[in-house]
Amino acid sequence: MIKLLRIARREYLAYVRTPGFWLSLLLLPVGLSTIVLVPMVMNRSSPTPIVTVVDFTPFGLTAVVRRTLAEHGPGGRPRAIVVPPPEAFPADAAQLRGRLSPYLQGARTLPGGRGLDAAVIIRPAGESVAIDYWSRNVTEGGLEDTVGNAITAQMRRIRLQHLGVDQATLARVDASNPVVNFYSPKAAAGKVSLADRLPGLAGLAMGMLLWMVVLTGAGMLLNSVMEEKTSRIIEVLLSSASVPEIMGGKILGVACVTGTILAFWMSIAAVLLTLRSPDLAGAMAGVFLDHARWAYFALYFLGGYLMFATLYVTIGAFCETSREAQTLLGPMMIIMSIPPLFMSQAIAHPDAPLMRTLSWVPLFTPFMMAARAANEPPLWEVAATAALMFGVTALELWVAVPAFKSGALATGRFDLRLFFTSLARRQAP
Amino acid sequence: MRDDVGGARPALSVEGLTKRYGAFTAVDDLSFTLRAGDILGFLGPNGAGKTTTVRMILGLVVPTAGRINLLGEDDPAKVRDKIGFLPEERGLYRRMTPVQAIGFLASLKGLSTAEGRRRGRELLIAHGMEDVLTRPIKSLSKGMAQKVQILSTLAHGPDLVILDEPFSGLDPANQQALEDLIRGVARDGATVIFSTHVMQHAERLCDQVLLMANGRKVFDGTVEAARTAAPRTLVLEGRFDPAALADLPGIADVSTAPIEDGAVRVILALKKGAPAQDALREAFTKGLDILRFELREPHLHDAFLVLTNGGGGEGEA
Repeated sequence: MIKLLRIARREYLAYVRTPGFWLSLLLLPVGLSTIVLVPMVMNRSSPTPIVTVVDFTPFGLTAVVRRTLAEHGPGGRPRAIVVPPPEAFPADAAQLRGRLSPYLQGARTLPGGRGLDAAVIIRPAGESVAIDYWSRNVTEGGLEDTVGNAITAQMRRIRLQHLGVDQATLARVDASNPVVNFYSPKAAAGKVSLADRLPGLAGLAMGMLLWMVVLTGAGMLLNSVMEEKTSRIIEVLLSSASVPEIMGGKILGVACVTGTILAFWMSIAAVLLTLRSPDLAGAMAGVFLDHARWAYFALYFLGGYLMFATLYVTIGAFCETSREAQTLLGPMMIIMSIPPLFMSQAIAHPDAPLMRTLSWVPLFTPFMMAARAANEPPLWEVAATAALMFGVTALELWVAVPAFKSGALATGRFDLRLFFTSLARRQAP
Repeated sequence: MRDDVGGARPALSVEGLTKRYGAFTAVDDLSFTLRAGDILGFLGPNGAGKTTTVRMILGLVVPTAGRINLLGEDDPAKVRDKIGFLPEERGLYRRMTPVQAIGFLASLKGLSTAEGRRRGRELLIAHGMEDVLTRPIKSLSKGMAQKVQILSTLAHGPDLVILDEPFSGLDPANQQALEDLIRGVARDGATVIFSTHVMQHAERLCDQVLLMANGRKVFDGTVEAARTAAPRTLVLEGRFDPAALADLPGIADVSTAPIEDGAVRVILALKKGAPAQDALREAFTKGLDILRFELREPHLHDAFLVLTNGGGGEGEA
């Protein structure tokens, strides 16, 4: 056991001393900060758009647009500033467009030197109105919908007033939108809240986390074994420790590397969540503590990691170059691409026959069962799928131990026949 | 086979060791014994079965048949910590320093990491490598890195050291240093097995040589005994007709090579036990114009060629 721990320690330190480890450590905090901060900075640094409104209708819609755009948008600033048209406008909408065009193209500026960002031209169209929204930027989005919705609502009111509906009735109609409440027997208080949805999200997160750990750990394990095989250190290791000690040490060492990164990421996330939303942080903690879900997740996380890590270590023992590794990893990557497709579906349909069936396929069990956690699968199903998963892992280890030795001692190019023969016969050379 | 182990328990005893891969026999019925504290040279052409034998001794490869007793144990795994092993093609963790690498490998042999590092530091300093203690191995020259790896096999004070082609890649000065190191290890009581293609190293170092060809043992004994497998030769140079030497007494074979000024060099292979003086006396009696003569004792290299039928081999098994 002490040799296993020493191999794990070396493996851990070997990765911790690389720049890649520190980059991985900082990846999530930096990435999250970028995702959160960049739009915020962009919003604050971008000037509020200047919009002019020309209304050819008799409905007084300019005031409606001005009021709507003056409301606070993201960042607490008005969505736009409505200014009068820069010059006297002609009665014809087509001519007006020609007048406004130099302002929108930047050839002319408004009084004060700023450019015009957009122009809203409202004109009669039969019994209704048409809105021409002209913008300096073809990819700018959002304002035209806001303007359109505001005018649509106002036109609805005007039309109803013409039909004789009084102001009080209109106000009651506006207030008559139904309140939809979502209830479920599985919700703690009957009414479904965010707290009730958290277990499902946590399950999906744990499944995705395992998926990421398996993928990143796979690369580390493969490279580690390949490096030792190429340099023949593996022979020295084999003459110093047993195969289970070597494999176990490597798997544990890489697990500690990925565990360190995850622990750091989760700590950052927990601190930020606690600072920003203590209630949500408490609810998240409750998700893991309630019904011993932490043990449930740990069970499948451990089994899943062990199952895939054993496979990757064994594959690495047969490869001397990354090209050889790619050959073997191809089918594995195809298999690994399946769980994410179904994990998100497992939240909405945790007991769908397909989800339940996939839960019984050992390679998918840890992902699917983690994603189905919120629906609390029956204990017998948990016990049986876990037993199957660990049984397959034990079988895999039983086959992999001699195969690892066989691969590690083989020289030359990767030999597919040797690989399968070694697995089938459980035989070192 | 040398059985004269003097009553002491042999460090290694191999009996009927065989390894087959399907129809191919890599090692065939190999038996030998190695006395504790001796240096064994493991010789043979490529494909002779040396590496397979070493791997079986180390327990890395399971024999098809036969028995191995290593340091008193039938299971090599039980004495892993008492063995130091250097594989043929070598490398170390490139990002580690020599002290870290030696410390780690020694820690897998039962020492604490701190003790392994302390011994590693001592060994490196003792072998003139104090300047590289904390440099990453990837920055060392190939020779330096090889020395580090050789020292890593010794840091835990093994009872048996197995070195697979330890001299390959080393410059003459480092080869000499390694010879001294191997002698020192044996002097300190450890048993040493090393495989090599360079007969001079075996000749200078070994108490015992084991010669293999095509998976079979062709010789096991002292260097002196091995030399007797090759004939002594009498070299004559002068201006004479080589055909006149064919009927000299005690001559098994005659080969000729021209040298400058119209002279020839004739190499006369002597029959086993035949005195060179008789042939030499007869040559002078014939009145041949002999300018130089020399009696050559056979070297291990000559014995190697004779015992392996020219030293040819196949791919390494």
